[in-house]
Amino acid sequence: MFSRFKNAVIGAVSGLETNGIPTPNDPHSYNKQTLAPKFLYGRPAFLNLSEDEVQMSADHRLRPIIHPSMSLPHHAGYAECVNAGKSKWNEDQAVYRQGVLTRVEYNDKQGVQKFSIPYTYYGIFDGHAGVGAALCAANQLHHILHEKLVDAQDDIWIAFSEKKRLKTKPSDLLITGALEAAFKEMDQVIAEDRTKYQAAGGCTALVALFILDKLFVANAGDSRAIICKDNKFTLMSMDFTPENERDRIRRLAEQQPNLLGQEFTSKEYVRPPKSSELGKTVMYRDAHMSGWAYKTLQVDDLKVSVITGQGKRSRVMGIIGVTRGFGDHDILSLYQRTPIKPFLSSHPEVQVHKITNVTENEVLVMGTDGLWDVVCGAKAAEVVAKSLNTFMEKERYVSAATCLVGSARGSLVNEHSWQLKDGKPSSADDISVFVIPLLPYKLEYEKLLGKYSETAESS
Amino acid sequence: MSYAYLFKYIIIGDTGVGKSCLLLQFTDKRFQPVHDLTIGVEFGARMITIDGKQIKLQIWDTAGQEAFRSITRSYYRGAAGALLVYDITRRETFNHLTTWLDDARQHSNSNMVIMLIGNKSDLESRREVKKEEGEAFAREHGLVFMETSAKTAANVEEAFINTAKEIYEKIQEGVFDINNEANGIKIGPQHSPTNPSLPGAGGAGGSQGSSCC
Ligand SMILES: Nc1nc2c(ncn2[C@@H]2O[C@H](COP(=O)(O)OP(=O)(O)OP(=O)(O)O)[C@@H](O)[C@H]2O)c(=O)[nH]1
Ligand SMILES: [Mg+2]
Repeated sequence: MFSRFKNAVIGAVSGLETNGIPTPNDPHSYNKQTLAPKFLYGRPAFLNLSEDEVQMSADHRLRPIIHPSMSLPHHAGYAECVNAGKSKWNEDQAVYRQGVLTRVEYNDKQGVQKFSIPYTYYGIFDGHAGVGAALCAANQLHHILHEKLVDAQDDIWIAFSEKKRLKTKPSDLLITGALEAAFKEMDQVIAEDRTKYQAAGGCTALVALFILDKLFVANAGDSRAIICKDNKFTLMSMDFTPENERDRIRRLAEQQPNLLGQEFTSKEYVRPPKSSELGKTVMYRDAHMSGWAYKTLQVDDLKVSVITGQGKRSRVMGIIGVTRGFGDHDILSLYQRTPIKPFLSSHPEVQVHKITNVTENEVLVMGTDGLWDVVCGAKAAEVVAKSLNTFMEKERYVSAATCLVGSARGSLVNEHSWQLKDGKPSSADDISVFVIPLLPYKLEYEKLLGKYSETAESS
Repeated sequence: MSYAYLFKYIIIGDTGVGKSCLLLQFTDKRFQPVHDLTIGVEFGARMITIDGKQIKLQIWDTAGQEAFRSITRSYYRGAAGALLVYDITRRETFNHLTTWLDDARQHSNSNMVIMLIGNKSDLESRREVKKEEGEAFAREHGLVFMETSAKTAANVEEAFINTAKEIYEKIQEGVFDINNEANGIKIGPQHSPTNPSLPGAGGAGGSQGSSCC
């Protein structure tokens, strides 16, 4: 049965060949044009936009800041706006989900008992080279994560209900592990989809998971999460850019120089060496070095550093400016077509934050780099504090999100340039922001504790 | 549904004057007694007929709240019509009209048709602004004027439709360059050769092929 199916597939492919469509060695690049996208473009489902509104939301001259028309859990805020024209559609995506881990127990006294641990999930995904990967992540990552959490739910339950005699791993590690495994699997799903669906491009991923008494922030990419309280902020994630991941990438290159092709070197030079300098000494550093040293310039040194550029403009192999996330399985360097994916990672950094001490004015802000390129943490905290003081609970967090997007988007001063109030250039990128109050999750946890301490005592 | 023209409107004015209620009455024929503060902007749309032609109104309902002023300013651009609304029971909303008008004139295209609206005409007993004052302000600044009630629906249709008629007349007179979308006017899809479509619109359904669900 299986082999017949396989033959049918091969027949289909060779049918394409005879139609004159070349089949290069890369098995994933045939009939790419004829494949359908896995998910149709749209804005986040919770925005509930009509098709008209989807078109309006992509107006590059007005860049309307849109927000959900219905309340998110606990009036959490969200707002977004499209880029100033760099791509036709908004390549960011966002999602939230509420899920429950359920455990059924049976004992003679009470019969069947059901225990539920609720969780809330928020994700933002910043796409590049297309909208596909971000759409996949926004539609699938929470399902994958849910499966991973369900796998661990008995252990999570035991860790929660029998705090005193721990038989299992602490639930922090179980949940962190679920997030890490889900990120990996998401990237694999996108890899496998390459033969079935239209090319997806890539995306970053930033996920916040509220479960029990903790907030877990998993980040792979250059989106960022912070916690704001009054006018202060705390970082909840680090940005993964070529510049910040210099060490990881150069070390990998040093260990596996074959990944560099003929074009790149793991070494770095104070300035790019020229062939006229062969035999002279140049200042360099290699992967294992934090400082600089001299060496004699050899032909091999004339290759391009695997990481070039500074800050926002740093690149891996001259192409990609973000080093973690999903997708990008087929990207190649420009000249010698060296695969870049081995240097990228889907592995998230997971930060854990206990929420049992949070206060009413504490919020989690999640934003794509469109926000953080021009709004620093202190400024964000100030904008949030102002909204929290001005508005009632129902509007508070949506207003904060809207004002954050507004303060990054600025305004159009002439036909082409967007500016901030102080005259500096504003963000021309897609901008997406969540503002999530923390206190409700603390209260939710306390309620859960109350509910299950009763059942624990009676059993 | 197909249309001959699409006109973009913007509704502006102080918070609480009834902008969102006017829109809701016009699009849904409903009245909303509680004040749901608009955050940034919200959208509405309705089809009307003028001179036998289907015209789609795309309406941007902006927030009057001060905190959103710098954001909403960017939405004036590319509007063909504006409804400038005050509340006849609150004089300060009438006093702020010049600020709103200055803002609108500065950030919009010069041909934008502005309709001045004194809303909440059903609250006659609490009136603070005489109808004559509204008329005088409109005359002085070259605006069209009307008193409305979003509650009883009095004059609501007329306010939106008369604005569209003015725009339509300006088109007939050749005042508007209808090929420039920046003027807030778009020719309907059946009248123009290109029809923007979503990427991957060839696919089947929204959730097709999601393997893990
Ligand atoms: N009696 C009466 N009340 C009205 C009328 N129009 C609006 N209201 C009331 O006025 C309040 C504010 O109306 P909204 O339409 O939400 O005000 P808005 O101008 O959109 O305010 P922002 O969104 O903050 O800018 C609500 O409580 C409405 O019920 C009206 O014509 N008559
Ligand atoms: Mg309103």
